[in-house]
Amino acid sequence: MSIDWITIAAQLINFLVLVWLLKRFLYRPILSGIDARETEIAERMLEASRAREKAEAAETRYNDLAATFRTNEATLIDNQRQKAEAERDTLIAEARARLEQERKDWEAHLAQEKSKYIAHLHRSGAALLVSLTGKALHDLADETLEERVVTHVARQLKPMAADLRKAANAGTPAVVTTRYVLPDAARVKLVANMKGLIPGQKLQFETDPAQSAGLVLRMGAVHVAWTVDSYIEELDTMLEERLVQDPIVKVDSDGH
Amino acid sequence: MELTPDSTIVFEAWGIPVNATIVNTWIIMAVLTGISMLITRKLRPDVPPNRWRTMLEVIVQGIQSQIEEISRRPSRNLLYFVGTLFLFIATSNLMLVMPGFDPPTASLSTTAALAFSVLIAVPLFGMTSRGVGGYLKTYMQPSVIMLPFNIISEFSRGISLAIRLYGNIMSGAVIAAILLSVAPFFFPVVMDVLGLLTGLIQAYIFAILATVYISSATADPSTSKTEKKTQ
Repeated sequence: MSIDWITIAAQLINFLVLVWLLKRFLYRPILSGIDARETEIAERMLEASRAREKAEAAETRYNDLAATFRTNEATLIDNQRQKAEAERDTLIAEARARLEQERKDWEAHLAQEKSKYIAHLHRSGAALLVSLTGKALHDLADETLEERVVTHVARQLKPMAADLRKAANAGTPAVVTTRYVLPDAARVKLVANMKGLIPGQKLQFETDPAQSAGLVLRMGAVHVAWTVDSYIEELDTMLEERLVQDPIVKVDSDGH
Repeated sequence: MELTPDSTIVFEAWGIPVNATIVNTWIIMAVLTGISMLITRKLRPDVPPNRWRTMLEVIVQGIQSQIEEISRRPSRNLLYFVGTLFLFIATSNLMLVMPGFDPPTASLSTTAALAFSVLIAVPLFGMTSRGVGGYLKTYMQPSVIMLPFNIISEFSRGISLAIRLYGNIMSGAVIAAILLSVAPFFFPVVMDVLGLLTGLIQAYIFAILATVYISSATADPSTSKTEKKTQ
C-alpha cells in the first residue's frame, strides 16, 4: 500500500474536471428539464385552478339564474296565460263581430230578397188580378175591365163637376194615365162622360209602365183613380200574415 | 500480486508516468460524460422524456432527495459535488466486473484524492455558508481548548473516508483474485456479485458521509440569518 502524490494530484484534477463535465452535460440539462416541466405543470395546475374557479362561478351563476327562474316561473306562466286569454278573447270578439256582421248582411240580403219577392208577387198578383177580373167580366157581363173602370171613374167624376169646371176654366189639361194603352171603346166612353160634365173638354191619354193596372185622371187639383193597388195591398197583407204564420219560403245557403 | 493499479504504468507523458489508475479514471470519466451527452444532447422542455432521460432523472433526483434529507442547506453545488462523487465511485466499483479493468477506487491514491477533495470542500462550503470568520469560529467550539482536537477530527475524517473506501474496494479485488487462483470457476463470480453490492454500498456511504461532513460545516438557514443580522 503506497500513496503516489502525482496520482493523487492527477485524480484530484480528474475529479474536479469530472465535476465540471457532469455539471455541464448531466446535472444542468436534467435539472433544467425537470424545472421546466415542474414550471409547466405548475402553470397548468394554475390554469386548471382558474378554469375550475371559472366553472364554479359559472355554476353558481347558473344556479342563481335557475333559482330566479323557479321563483318567477309562476309569475311568468300567469302573465303568459293572461296574455293568451286576452288574445283568445280578442279573437273570439273579432269572430263574433264578423259573424254578427255576416248575420246582419245576410238578414239585409234576406230582407232585400223578401222585398224583391213581394214586389214580384205584387206585380204578378196585380197582373193576375187584372187578367182574372177582366176575364170574369167578359165571361159574365160581356164587358171589358177597361170599360167598367171608365164607368167607375165617370161615376166618381160627377160629384166633382164643380172642381173640374174650375180646373177647365183655368186651362188645366185633363190627363188620363194607364199602364197599358187604353182601348178605343173605353177612350170614347170616357171622353163622352167628360163632355157630359164639361163640354168641349179634351182628354190627354198617356201610358206609364210604372203605374199599377187601372186608370188615373188628373186635372188640376182633381184626382180620380181606380187601380189594383188597394186590392194588391190587401193581398200583400194576407201573404205577409201567411208568411209569418207558416214560412214557406225556403232560403238556401246563399240567402236566395 | 499487485494490490494497486498505481504500479502499472501505461505510458509516460513529458517524463511523467501515467499509470492505470489515471487511465481507468479517464475511461470512467469518458463513459459518464459520453452517456450524459448522448442522453441530454437533444433535450427540449416541450418533448416528453424518453426512458434514458427518465433513468438519468431518477438517478439525479434520487441523489438530490438523499442530500435534501441529510443536509440542512441543500444546494445545487452540493449536488454537483456529492453526485459526482457517488457516480464516479459507483461506476468505478461496478466496472470491477469487467475483466482486466482495475477500478481506480482500488487505488489508495484515488480514494485519498477523493477524501482530500472532501477535506477541501468542507471548509469551502462552510465558508460560503457561514462566512470565513463564522466557519473558523466553529473550530473553537465549544471553547478554544477544542481547537487542536477539532483540527485533528477534521483530518481524521478525510483519512477515514479514504481508508474505508480503499480498503473495501481493494479487499474485494484482492479476495476475488485469491479465489480466482484457488477456485477459478465458481467463487470468483460470487465474490464479484458481492463486490458489486459492496461497491454500490461504499459509493453510497462515501457520498452520504461527504454530505454529512459538508452539512455539519454549513449553518442551517435560521442560524445563518441570525448571524447576518448580528453582523
